[in-house]
Amino acid sequence: MRNAFIDTVIEECLRRDDIFIISGDAGLGVFDEFGKQRPDRFLNLGVAEQNAIGCAAGMALAGFRVYVYNIVPFVLYRCYEQVRNDICYQQLPVTLVGIGSGFSYAPMGMTHYSVEDLGVAQTLPNLRVFSPADPTEAEASARFTLAGSEPTYVRLAKRGEPRVHLDALPDVTRPIQLAEGRDVALVFHGTVVGEVLEAHRILGEMGVSAKVISLPLINPCPIDQLDEMLEGIGQVVTIEEHFVDSGLGCRLALWSAANRPNWRLSRMGIKPEYVHAVKKQEGMRAHYSLTSAHIASHVRSLLVKN
Amino acid sequence: MDHPNILDIAKRIRHSIIELACVSQGPHVGTALSCADILTTLYFQVMRLDDWESRDIGILSKGHAAMALYATLAEKGIIDKELLKGYCLNDGTLPAHLDRFSAKGVEVSAGSLGHGFNIGLGMAYGFKKRELDRRVFVVIGDGESQEGSIWEGALFAPTMGLDNFTVIVDYNNLQGYGRPNDICSFHPFAEKWQAFGWHTVEVDGHDHVALQRAMNEPTAGKPRAVIAHTTKGKGVPFMEDQLVWHYYIVTEEIRKQSLEALR
Repeated sequence: MRNAFIDTVIEECLRRDDIFIISGDAGLGVFDEFGKQRPDRFLNLGVAEQNAIGCAAGMALAGFRVYVYNIVPFVLYRCYEQVRNDICYQQLPVTLVGIGSGFSYAPMGMTHYSVEDLGVAQTLPNLRVFSPADPTEAEASARFTLAGSEPTYVRLAKRGEPRVHLDALPDVTRPIQLAEGRDVALVFHGTVVGEVLEAHRILGEMGVSAKVISLPLINPCPIDQLDEMLEGIGQVVTIEEHFVDSGLGCRLALWSAANRPNWRLSRMGIKPEYVHAVKKQEGMRAHYSLTSAHIASHVRSLLVKN
Repeated sequence: MDHPNILDIAKRIRHSIIELACVSQGPHVGTALSCADILTTLYFQVMRLDDWESRDIGILSKGHAAMALYATLAEKGIIDKELLKGYCLNDGTLPAHLDRFSAKGVEVSAGSLGHGFNIGLGMAYGFKKRELDRRVFVVIGDGESQEGSIWEGALFAPTMGLDNFTVIVDYNNLQGYGRPNDICSFHPFAEKWQAFGWHTVEVDGHDHVALQRAMNEPTAGKPRAVIAHTTKGKGVPFMEDQLVWHYYIVTEEIRKQSLEALR
């Protein structure tokens, strides 16, 4: 999906003069060809993240739409204050492209996991936040940023994720229904999509009709549209490869507490802790109860309880 | 070229700074006074500001000296002097640290140290890439030079080919709580910039002629660092080189004494 996003930006950059891409010594092979084609529109600013974000803000002030590409910790954590003051406070057209969402990089170690990035990103007013589920959503997010001029953070996994949407999306800012259902709604974002769709299938075999909704735009969250799609559904379950207490589920819980106190909402995600387990992504999902089997059995138990 | 009234202009800017500090009852008068001559030279003798769309950019990275920038912009006629009346007040106009949406000429929002410098580098690079003949001048503090972001930018600027970029270090030798070199191993300072590949000049930061020369001399393709040796509280004898005037408040009594003593 990283290639779907970046290739869309590069393609546009070959046609337009106002786009500039900064990498922070990351993305092996991603920019090789582009660096040759448009050496005047690409810069590797090395292992210096505060400077990279500050420079991106300056280039935006000089008239460019800037894309900063790096792994998530280096576009959001190491340089949080630069993102806050230089980009968001100044309302500049900079898109932070963060790679390695959730446990994409497992078992590289905790330093490389992005399990709290949405919590961090949601503290920043003016920051539009996307968490695409597949290359199609990633590409649509890229197109959205190319047409706009707002500070944006895009949470991507890595490469090789399967395509879920076979057709282009009409509007990536709206919740996207992947399956119709009436007993329960599974609301998710990001590449946990595979587990969610498989859970939907398992639930179907159990006779449970689950609606499946992808929410690629996390901020500003299209809650009203989501609310409409959830009409008549008794149980909502959020699923995300993110700390359970600071991501989408938490956001919906806050909203529903004020607006839909009768919602039955259950949040599935990663227990907030420093991860010492050494496992690949599928192992981590099993460890934190985020596999399709876990999701299906959790949903089943909720419905039984209800 | 020397400006015949440059000393008068600098004095009027200092006068405004003292008034602003008094009305707002806020801190940082010493740091604002220390960079008054640097800003005066920049805005009245060095930067090209006549065609606003293609102007040179001035950035006060040491955003806590905002009073000095506001006073300079007002003196230059870039902002209305009326705006100064709302400095740092409830329901006011200008915040104590810079917000680029607050007034014309405030190019960059700054207040946390070690930000404006890197934004300036990006602007200078952006102008190069857009083939615009625009220059960027950034004023940082000596205390600010302890920020890692400054040295990240210092490492990259020569490679980025930024001969349109100048950093002026307001080296007043007093940060919030002491002398920079007592707080960390600060010396040698100019040599650090030189070693990083910058065209480095040391000047008396209150000498307009020396400042102007330093900011205009050719740099053989390198970014420029002007280490401007200044005195904190410059112009008000009892404030000069006194640590307390980083935070002390200018009372009505102090205001009168300061304006009488102003030189």
